[in-house]
Amino acid sequence: MLNFDEIFVTRNWFGKPVRRDKDARFVRGEGSYTDDLPMDCLYAAFVRSPYPHARLGNIDTSKAAALKGVRAVVTGPEVAAATKPVGARAITRPAVQHVMATKKVRYVGEPVAIVVANDRYLVEDAAELIEVDYEPLRVVVEIDDAMKKDAPLVFDEAETNVLLHDTLTHGDIEQAFRDADFVMQEQFRVQRFSSTPLENWAMIAKYEKSTDSYTVWANDQQPGRSIVNLCNALGIPANRLRLIVPDSGGGFGIKLAIWPYMVSLCVVARKVDKPVKWIQTRREHLLAGTHTPDCILDLELAMKKDGQVLGLRMRDRQNDGSFVHTAGIYNLIKFANIVGCYNIKATQAEMMSIVTNKAPTVQNRGVGKPAMMFSLERLMHRAAVQLGMDPAEIRFRNFIQPEQMPHTTPSGEIYESGNYPECLRIALEQIGYKDLKAQQETLRKQGTYIGIGLSASIEPGTSNLGYYYTSRGTPEYMGNAEGAIVSMDYDGNINVLLGSVEEGQGHATSVSQVIADMLAITPDRVTMNQQLDSVMSPFMGHSGCYSNRFNDVEMGAVIMATKKIRDKVLKIASHRLGVPVADLRFRDGTVYSEKDAGKTLTFKEVATLAYKQVLLLPVGFEPGLKEVAFYKNDIAKLPNKTDFNVQMTHANSLHATVVEVDPATGMIRFRKYVIVHDCGRQINPGIVEGMSIGSTVHGVGTVLLEEFIYDENGQILTTSFVDYMKPLAVGLPRFEVSHMESPCTTSLLGTKAVGEGGAIGSLAAIGNAVEDALTPFGVKVTSLPITPEKVLRAIRETKVI
Amino acid sequence: MHKISVKINGNAYEEEVESRLLLVHFLRDKVNLKGTHVGCDTGNCGACTVFLNGKPIKSCNMLAVQADGAELTTIEGLERDGALHPVQEAFLDKFAIQCGYCTPGMVLSALALLQSNRRPNEEEIREAIEGNICMCTGYQQIVDAVAHAADLMGQSRS
Repeated sequence: MLNFDEIFVTRNWFGKPVRRDKDARFVRGEGSYTDDLPMDCLYAAFVRSPYPHARLGNIDTSKAAALKGVRAVVTGPEVAAATKPVGARAITRPAVQHVMATKKVRYVGEPVAIVVANDRYLVEDAAELIEVDYEPLRVVVEIDDAMKKDAPLVFDEAETNVLLHDTLTHGDIEQAFRDADFVMQEQFRVQRFSSTPLENWAMIAKYEKSTDSYTVWANDQQPGRSIVNLCNALGIPANRLRLIVPDSGGGFGIKLAIWPYMVSLCVVARKVDKPVKWIQTRREHLLAGTHTPDCILDLELAMKKDGQVLGLRMRDRQNDGSFVHTAGIYNLIKFANIVGCYNIKATQAEMMSIVTNKAPTVQNRGVGKPAMMFSLERLMHRAAVQLGMDPAEIRFRNFIQPEQMPHTTPSGEIYESGNYPECLRIALEQIGYKDLKAQQETLRKQGTYIGIGLSASIEPGTSNLGYYYTSRGTPEYMGNAEGAIVSMDYDGNINVLLGSVEEGQGHATSVSQVIADMLAITPDRVTMNQQLDSVMSPFMGHSGCYSNRFNDVEMGAVIMATKKIRDKVLKIASHRLGVPVADLRFRDGTVYSEKDAGKTLTFKEVATLAYKQVLLLPVGFEPGLKEVAFYKNDIAKLPNKTDFNVQMTHANSLHATVVEVDPATGMIRFRKYVIVHDCGRQINPGIVEGMSIGSTVHGVGTVLLEEFIYDENGQILTTSFVDYMKPLAVGLPRFEVSHMESPCTTSLLGTKAVGEGGAIGSLAAIGNAVEDALTPFGVKVTSLPITPEKVLRAIRETKVI
Repeated sequence: MHKISVKINGNAYEEEVESRLLLVHFLRDKVNLKGTHVGCDTGNCGACTVFLNGKPIKSCNMLAVQADGAELTTIEGLERDGALHPVQEAFLDKFAIQCGYCTPGMVLSALALLQSNRRPNEEEIREAIEGNICMCTGYQQIVDAVAHAADLMGQSRS
């Protein structure tokens, strides 16, 4: 954290809810999403496998090719022959996969051919004319089945369906369990779901013959890596690819790995003379547009009678579906919050990434950490009940205390700051905890079943990308870094170009607030080019909108570049005014001498010197006012198995909720919902509020509504918003959000993560509340989602949700 | 092919369209009004909401030929003399936008409510936007924005 005096010359804008006028285009309907770009395009459509597992036979494209208006048809095997396979990152077994199906299909919806035609309706007609022969194979759908000895193999060359299997132990786990008075254990299951951004994947590819190069427009969430992957797959140097990212209609991780489709689109773009556009349909998105893996998490806590947790043992099995690129990541990232908010001294994690004939998975909001916190916080609740202790009390007894910060967890994660007990105290006060138990008793007598749920969770931010390779070794990426270009124009106004993209977080407004306070101007004098263009933007391999890295490394790059501009403005002014730099100050877009108020230059006058009257600059002084800076967070450790940090900032939150469960219908209704969130310093509280609530509603969807359901034959049954249900405005509580502010010591502004906290912390809060409400029925909550059907079945028969 | 005539945001259009062309694609691809979005293809998400003869409809659930002779208003038709409509202002005031993709449909559904109910309570607002899915905000700031829009519209009337 830098001293604010080193960063800011005014404090008028940082920390204020500045309106997002820079995004006023959205309320006008002037957003410029990929499908809105004014380009004359052909349209592409994919032919997808109806089988979850089958040998791919003959693909007859003749009828489609003969249709008037069809411009190209390319099969999966042809795309595979023209491209290199998809790279793995975390798994340790060999598994070869191309961007489209080659010899066999591995999931329903896997693309087997791509068609290009003159319009978006015709191309769908053409896709239906392609005839594909399949020879169905035995199917493997669920985790337990995939691990059986005689299970069909998804990747023959792996010789197993477990592509990552590693056990990491930190601290003396054996001693912890020897010292324990008792062990709490449970198996938790979290379903397949997705945050489903409202804009589906969208992309356009154009091939230019004269330079043998490609331009791609796409709503890509991680362009830094996509450029690398796209070039590798196509076998071209980086200077033959230009990637442009326009406005994007939400991401939540689900657009982090759209590049395999960009590869296919480039292959067909080469065969036609116009740009080719592919707009994913919602059905395609839900079918195969990447999911959160379903998982089975066995958790054991070594406990003392006083409630203290000595050690944590976990067996984590992820159903990573059939995408080798992300397989294993959900296992490894859990080290970022494996001990949650607690001072647990020893951990052991057995990790298994399992492939099946389910759809590909990707890093969805929170990435494995929601399941981690759900399991840990469910078990903490259960432990309190078993001990006859208040669920709040058991947490107070185990919290890492504020005076113990910074705190290093057994595996090496560094929690830089935080006041977990105070967050809980505020939450208890807000929800009226004192009176709730008595209320609950009274209501039960009247046949109304309410439950109280608490959940304390860590929300890590800024991934150290080396963690992917913890088990595999040889990291291709490590740490996290970003670039920014800041320039002052002829009029003394500021323009910013970031190396990354956004998915709706209002980065332009936040950047303008920080720069305004760094230069004593108003935010309306700061513009940001929000379209990433790889030939202009200062991107890194890390660049992308993920893991809450904006407030840390992206802002870091902006601050460093703005400081360079500020230093240069001071030097120019010092020379022109004949005043030492130390005597110069900033006010309302001017530089003036503290000792002689008459000596002043506006930014416009400084810019005139820098750009036009260059002979008035010192001899040898570089003219112009455009600066680039790259910034990395130095807290990242090199990847290894004994002492590593997965993420670099650690926000936390406390979720407390009261729900009412109707035992006649199984319906769950919120009576109250309190969030106490600590993301350190806030740049813009209006934006922070929206992210806190928005991510919590993702959690509500995960707990109550959403699930990708597969039948035993591997067919997915939930491919529209009719049967894959999302939270609507009706049925949600009014969220009461409070904020703590424990400044982060490792980000320049003292900021931490905010975008994922609700999706991480809400699962256990609601799960605990439901189990508490159903105590009279002896029902346990061990799986998600908690649907009315499951509630009823548990009350009447199984006693387990 | 069928010839259709429609009035959109006060301007008259005449186009030859295929019978299967969806109204949303007519608006986006033929009339070049890109503010109306496609989010779900099944009428669930409301990103394609427009006014047809003064009533909100989902333009992905209607054929262009069915709109022949109709008057349509899209998000692009709300501004007056370059000034934002109070509902648009309210969405900015209350941080009711994140990625912006649902925003045009949300604004139009909110406006439809406020045209028939000048002082909706929170429950009425939530019901009115139940056919519009927002993946980003969790709705709360949108609900607040609609209540705020009611205030702004009340002020401009008085």
